Amino acid sequence: MIKAHVTHNLKVLGEIVVLTKDCFCCTFTRPFYWGRLFEQIINLGVGSLSITIVIGVVTGLVMTLQFGYGLAKFGGTLYVPAIVSLSLMRELAPIFTSLLIAGRIGSGISAEIAAMNVTQQIDAIRALGTNPVRVLVVPRVLATIFSLPLLATLSAFMGIIGGLSIAYSEFAMPAGFYINKVLSTVQFTDVFGSMFKCAFFGFIISIVACYRGFQTTEGTKGVGAATTWVVVTTSIIILISDFFLSKLLILIFD
Amino acid sequence: MMNILEVKNLVKSFDEKIIHRGISFSLEVGETIGLLGHSGTGKSVLLRSLIGLEHIDEGEVYFHQKRIDHLTEQQLYAIRTKISYSFQNAALFDSISVFENIAYPLFEHTKLTEEQVEVRVRDILKTVNMEDAIELMPSDLSGGMQKRVGLARSMVLNPEILLYDEPTAGLDPVNVEMVLEVMNRFKSKGLSGILVTHDIPTARKICDRILILKEGTIGFNGTIEDFDKSDDPFVQSFLLGQ
Repeated sequence: MIKAHVTHNLKVLGEIVVLTKDCFCCTFTRPFYWGRLFEQIINLGVGSLSITIVIGVVTGLVMTLQFGYGLAKFGGTLYVPAIVSLSLMRELAPIFTSLLIAGRIGSGISAEIAAMNVTQQIDAIRALGTNPVRVLVVPRVLATIFSLPLLATLSAFMGIIGGLSIAYSEFAMPAGFYINKVLSTVQFTDVFGSMFKCAFFGFIISIVACYRGFQTTEGTKGVGAATTWVVVTTSIIILISDFFLSKLLILIFD
Repeated sequence: MMNILEVKNLVKSFDEKIIHRGISFSLEVGETIGLLGHSGTGKSVLLRSLIGLEHIDEGEVYFHQKRIDHLTEQQLYAIRTKISYSFQNAALFDSISVFENIAYPLFEHTKLTEEQVEVRVRDILKTVNMEDAIELMPSDLSGGMQKRVGLARSMVLNPEILLYDEPTAGLDPVNVEMVLEVMNRFKSKGLSGILVTHDIPTARKICDRILILKEGTIGFNGTIEDFDKSDDPFVQSFLLGQ
């Protein structure tokens, strides 16, 4: 039982590695579908803007509120801008945005490709002499790798703005002081680290979603199961890999 | 006549289940073969195997006397522009229009300008009596119309062989006649074809030769006349729908 489970998971891992290799090869060989890439950036990236902004602003509001009142007991309200901005930039924005994108985009990609698979559209792409990895996977993977870091950075920025509004209105903190504290705390390496993590998460979300879409065979039931599997699997991978990536980035930059 | 496609001792199985146990036949230039058999005998699987959409376990497939069954997926892409496949459910890309569906292989495999592509798409749509549907989405089309658009997409690169997977299944008699008319037009242009069907009258109208699959092998291989005159109990039972 355990052996079969392990064997199955190793097989899945191996197939994802093969898909990654194919995707890599197709990215650096002709033809390259620029139009499809921009279309996916619009669909995946621009389409996620509003929810990303909401998540960022609300996280910033709540963080500032909680830390503000919490630290006020110890006279530490002045540390709120540094704590909020650094935690948003390094961890909260990348993680929240990635989990959100895993739900929104990961499920969307897997459902779309799975539906194409069960209606033989993937076979049609092959039968028409074209490569489904090149046509479907490469634009989605690149669009997610490109969009997610930008979305997470935007989310962190909006969170800092949200924090500013609460710091000013609830704790009478001058805006200039708040901004100065943020600028002196958040370094380029924090922004770079956040974007690097998000690019990795974006790759994981899109490649796993595409893989599951290609593997779907059981009609509409299979499409539903595929989306659930993708959201759960990518969320777990994001959460676990975040620890190791954070550790790696701290070793490199701190 | 010359063989355009030849299959030798093709064996195919899914896990433990053996579908084909050594199938051999050939297709001549301009000929249309009807591939018949009861449900589950592997007609569509055989068709898919010919262009590598399914990997075969054993055997050989030759196109113009060149072996193609061992080619990589990448190498098969070029073959699939010469041997086209028309899917049972048409398999149109549902997120793009009829025009984009048919133009897709042209943009992929030719260096035609957008204007030339449009002319070519309109021409092929005229052949299948669907010129008014050029702007529509696949979801706007009936089953019969989708099949005709699917046939148009399969034909747009001027293939040498067209593999039809049950093109008339599930259609009303009027649409069946329309699809048959389209297939006859293709045939009159010298196109070779293999037609998977359950419908014997359809096979009679289009095909020059009939193959019947039986328990993973070819149970009958002969002309329409041979088919009609055959006193083989298997062919008789097939004719009587048993």
